[in-house]
Amino acid sequence: MHKIVTKKGLPTLIEAWQRQAVVYAPVHNGGIPEFQRLGRGTQAALYLRGNTRYPPKSLFISQSETMFYAQGTALEQVPLPTAPRVILGVRACDARATQLLDGVFGTDSSDPSWVRKRERTALVGLGCTKPGATCFCSAVGSGPFDARGVDVMLTDLGDAYLAEVQTDEGETLLEGMPVATQAQVEAAHQLQEAAASSMEIPFETEGIRDVLYGLFSSSFWYEVQQSCLGCGVCTFLCPTCHCFDIVDEVQRRERVRNWDSCMFRIYSQEASGYNPRPTNVERTRQRIMHKYAYFVENHGEIGCTGCGRCVRNCPVDLDIRQVIRDARSWAEE
Amino acid sequence: MGELTQAIREHAARLLQEGRVDVVIGFKTGTVPLRAQPAFITEPEQAAELVHNSFCQNNLASYLTRRPDTERIGIICRGCESRAVHVLVSEHQHDREGLYVIGVPCAGIIDRHKIERQGELDLETVEVWEEGEEVIVALDDGEQRYARAEVLDDACLRCAHPQPTDADLLLADLPDNGASVDRWAAVDAFESLPPAERFARFAQEAERCIRCYACREACPTCYCTECFVDHNNPRWCESMVTAGGTHAWHVIRAFHQAGRCVSCGACERACPMEIKMTYLTDKLNYDMAQQYGFEPGMSDDATPPFAAFTLDDADRFVR
Amino acid sequence: MSDLWPPRILVFQCQYSVYSETEREAISSQLPPHVKHVQVPCSGRISPLFVLNAIQGGVDGVLICGCVPEKCHFKAGNLGARRQLDAFRAFLSYLGVEEERVRFAWIDPAERGRVLQEIAALEEALASLGQASRLVTRVPLQPQGERPWAS
Repeated sequence: MHKIVTKKGLPTLIEAWQRQAVVYAPVHNGGIPEFQRLGRGTQAALYLRGNTRYPPKSLFISQSETMFYAQGTALEQVPLPTAPRVILGVRACDARATQLLDGVFGTDSSDPSWVRKRERTALVGLGCTKPGATCFCSAVGSGPFDARGVDVMLTDLGDAYLAEVQTDEGETLLEGMPVATQAQVEAAHQLQEAAASSMEIPFETEGIRDVLYGLFSSSFWYEVQQSCLGCGVCTFLCPTCHCFDIVDEVQRRERVRNWDSCMFRIYSQEASGYNPRPTNVERTRQRIMHKYAYFVENHGEIGCTGCGRCVRNCPVDLDIRQVIRDARSWAEE
Repeated sequence: MGELTQAIREHAARLLQEGRVDVVIGFKTGTVPLRAQPAFITEPEQAAELVHNSFCQNNLASYLTRRPDTERIGIICRGCESRAVHVLVSEHQHDREGLYVIGVPCAGIIDRHKIERQGELDLETVEVWEEGEEVIVALDDGEQRYARAEVLDDACLRCAHPQPTDADLLLADLPDNGASVDRWAAVDAFESLPPAERFARFAQEAERCIRCYACREACPTCYCTECFVDHNNPRWCESMVTAGGTHAWHVIRAFHQAGRCVSCGACERACPMEIKMTYLTDKLNYDMAQQYGFEPGMSDDATPPFAAFTLDDADRFVR
Repeated sequence: MSDLWPPRILVFQCQYSVYSETEREAISSQLPPHVKHVQVPCSGRISPLFVLNAIQGGVDGVLICGCVPEKCHFKAGNLGARRQLDAFRAFLSYLGVEEERVRFAWIDPAERGRVLQEIAALEEALASLGQASRLVTRVPLQPQGERPWAS
């Protein structure tokens, strides 16, 4: 079912959503776009070409989250959130990443906070009519209009959006909106195809798991990690990275979960002092292989959705696209 | 800048050929516009990859504490990098004999955010290059031109020592060695604000912090194997992205740089959230200069100001 | 006035600047509940990290007491403390935290009761400055009436 939402009519539709749910969307935020709760004074900035800097995974697993707090000598659990939410303007890469993380947080060892938030959140995706030069979703089995992770996928037609409903939840969100004409649907599909074909494919992923496993003991990794500073930019901005650390913050009397990064030296350090990833070589190898080999092993999918945030924001321009390309060249030699 | 790149390549290749060094650390062209990648050359042929331009955003001295101890290192240094080398040598983090410093003059690093923010929201930057005092940005639809001074990094605009010091080989001279620069401009501007406003600004900048520690890792003089943020007992700094944790992080990291920071700005350039922080380290360096006449990074055997205390220290504090 | 007033003060005192153990006990027993007194081996032990942690915890004023120059039991710990804490206080002031909230006093053990004088002077200054708010991010763990070391 395809509907039309005019740009003039969008604020009214958002208001209707806001009667039942809290609505989030990317806002301009002085040039560093980020997802914020829409309200008085906070307007959605769907006209922005690129993506938010900070990933929307923060809306499902907060960077810092109190799990328990001390009440006398007992630890009380912080109640799980209840408010339904709509996240508007999420890109295909980020929505797809959220779906991949369901495999981590939503299945066997399910995380109550994650599951609760996912159950009560609808995603309205905004496809990319103009993919950026650092985007590579199409190289990792996705694309600028990949609707697998969303309830509705929007395509910008100029003065309106084509809204392609994907789920029942999506249908409810668009109740009352006019049905799209055949011409509008075709115009949208043309834009979608043009967007997908405009993207250069920086590397092949066929057999990448085996290529990387083959290089496990190679000096390839020493070469790759030389410029890596071991900061947490790539891991924190990545929509699929999900590692966390639980710590008792005694001065706050709270047990807290924070995002953690496998690139930090102490990430894998054990209580004895032994560290199975003692140098940047092991840590960099792990990071790349987690995305392109281990995730494939564990979940059957590449753990990277090509959003390009790591490429744009790495302080030393360590480009994962180059790493995968170079891995293949090394393997072939 | 073409001549300088040529000279860098020739000398890097020669040093490796002669077996004078095991590695030459410099920059090569980046994979995206406005960026360069740190390069680690071990064979003379690889020297052809080296470049020198205004997109070389990192302080290469930060790699000296990451390389194997026994490696003999050739390093291409601009002013701030050579001063960072001095700090590291004076703190016994590297042996000066194992280093070969190739000094290059610096005309400043371009702040990619200044260009990105000036551009149209809808246009993608395809390529950027320099032509004399102009920076040309080719967009996917059209072109934009800027004067270098318009888009130079703030730390570079305030740089008092762009000329490398104590290089083993100096490739060229800069006529104006930062003499006409207002190096304390950021400190003065901040200090002119009333206290409540100063705190508000500090809190506002810190609020964006995502504790990725890119600033720390990009900094040549942050090299502790265990950073204070990682201490559990005592717990100095909560690791949460709360005001408490983030304020402590920024305050103490800046404080640990007092008299050590070479004002290169690599921290700000590394920050993914574009947080300002050199106004903090500049203040501490200003204080070290005023109170003890100390300037970081000017020699290999300076005693750091917090290790040099005397009975006659200037005193504005003790009751 | 909130019930957190009078001003919360944290005192770090070098053990050698106190005349005797009896003196230390006398000082402690004379302190009102809103003043906490922590004894340290040397004022040089006081890192800015302690001062920052105290301020973030809502302490209104911090007083560090060490030995006078040339009388430091560990030779020059008090001199090292002077440089570090002086720079830190100036830095805190730069960030908007009033200078008067952080004080450093050199005390000769013969100056009996000097620390109480300094505390009183700090209280007076804090009365006009008011409660600390800048950089304060934690509420104090103990309500003002409790002293955790008292048995």
